[in-house]
Amino acid sequence: MDFVLDPMLIFRILVFPGFTFILFLTLFCDWVERKLEARIQNRVGPMVAGPGGILQPLADFIKLLTKEDIEPRDTKKLVFRYSPLLAFAIMVFAMCFLPIDGASVLSTGGFDGDLIIILTFATIANFLLFLAGWASANPYGTIGSARVLTQFLGYDIPLYILALTPAFIAGSLNIATIAGSQSLPFILLAPWAFVLFIITIQAELERDPFDVPHSESELVGGLETEYTGAKLAFLHLTRDVQVVFGSALVVLLFLGGSSGPVFFGLDWFFYTLWFVLKLLVVVVISEYITTVVARLRIDQVLTGNWKILLPAALLSLMLTVALVTWVYHPFGIGV
Amino acid sequence: MTDTKTWARVKSPWVLHFNSGACNGCDIEIVALLTPKYDVERFGIKLEPSPRHADVLLVTGAVTHQCAERLKRVYDQMPQPKFVVAIGACACSGGVFEGNYSVVGGVDKVVPVSAYIPGCPPRPEAIIDGVVKLLSAINPPKQKKQAGAPKAEPAPIVEEVKQNAQ
Repeated sequence: MDFVLDPMLIFRILVFPGFTFILFLTLFCDWVERKLEARIQNRVGPMVAGPGGILQPLADFIKLLTKEDIEPRDTKKLVFRYSPLLAFAIMVFAMCFLPIDGASVLSTGGFDGDLIIILTFATIANFLLFLAGWASANPYGTIGSARVLTQFLGYDIPLYILALTPAFIAGSLNIATIAGSQSLPFILLAPWAFVLFIITIQAELERDPFDVPHSESELVGGLETEYTGAKLAFLHLTRDVQVVFGSALVVLLFLGGSSGPVFFGLDWFFYTLWFVLKLLVVVVISEYITTVVARLRIDQVLTGNWKILLPAALLSLMLTVALVTWVYHPFGIGV
Repeated sequence: MTDTKTWARVKSPWVLHFNSGACNGCDIEIVALLTPKYDVERFGIKLEPSPRHADVLLVTGAVTHQCAERLKRVYDQMPQPKFVVAIGACACSGGVFEGNYSVVGGVDKVVPVSAYIPGCPPRPEAIIDGVVKLLSAINPPKQKKQAGAPKAEPAPIVEEVKQNAQ
């Protein structure tokens, strides 16, 4: 493949829909979450930074970037320094494969199997977060990262199985093809898989009721306990990008991706608009669950995973395969 | 650039609550700040669990000999720039415990204090007022041209806090 330095490509990678767009979308989603959480708790949430507090996540980010960076003596310096940054970089890289404005950031249709690749990136990012806590020479950090590892090893399996459901209906492992073949969104064809996928994403993103790895009241800050300054900023940002990534995955696999009515021939604008609107719907659902449910214990989380969610995911896949083979395809539904 | 930095710091003060020997009166008032009625998240104030994440240390209670060393250690664990707010009469001066055999005295005997909020316990409104005064000392609001408006007296801590913020 000959590589040409195309200005349009550089623009797509650095500005839209690449790095800058993803960064600001992430900060915006963070603001939506904080406001929603505050409103559900009968508070008002951030108000002072920008109109309605919309700049609050940006203020937090800049403040953390400019704070003193402390490295405790016993930390494993190399891992401690670079794993937060690497985790963030990998999550943004995974986001670049998602067709946000109708095409992925590299403006190709992706390749067969990129669904598996981006799920793998999410796993690697989680593993880097585990390393970040492990290297920080703090008992709370160690317990937090052990819990991260325990949790994501379990919940990755149902996540992969459930992600196969839309892939099977579309008959492709290419995420752009899956999103593109949803003239009837897959949430209507396989609602059971959608519900299970949302639950699994909550667990994968370590949000309530599955937020045992960084449960503030028992573990101080979990794996973030020893982190200060820019490293903490990137750890927070990684978590927020993971939330956007998980929601984007739900949008692409179940809600028809960026497809929607296009006016005035501005296809990239409307595709992005529909994508962001659908993304916000998923973020709101996810945040609603986070706010209204209580935290489970670590043993309940694991029991729920291996005894309930994994068999349920397998059953969901079997049900989908049976329906697609004997009902949907013969009657031409959703094809 | 410096403006952006100061703006971000003023809009996002994360606090850590440390009880150096209080009777829990001031602590309850601090917790009340986070409730829907007062909701200090409006100002971007978040209660953080780890000293490594915090910008402002809220100390309540007279400092006992046992706690003095721990208070110093927690203060040292916080990254620069950092501020300490002494909340309640005991934290400001030792209060009724001044001269007690087990008490060092006010918080300023152990760590440098940026703002004092007296009261036994101070009302949540008083704490918000103190924190807002501390924040405006870091970033003084631009003088609005209003005829006849009384000139606000700068708080005595302003210079020291400004240096600390740089």
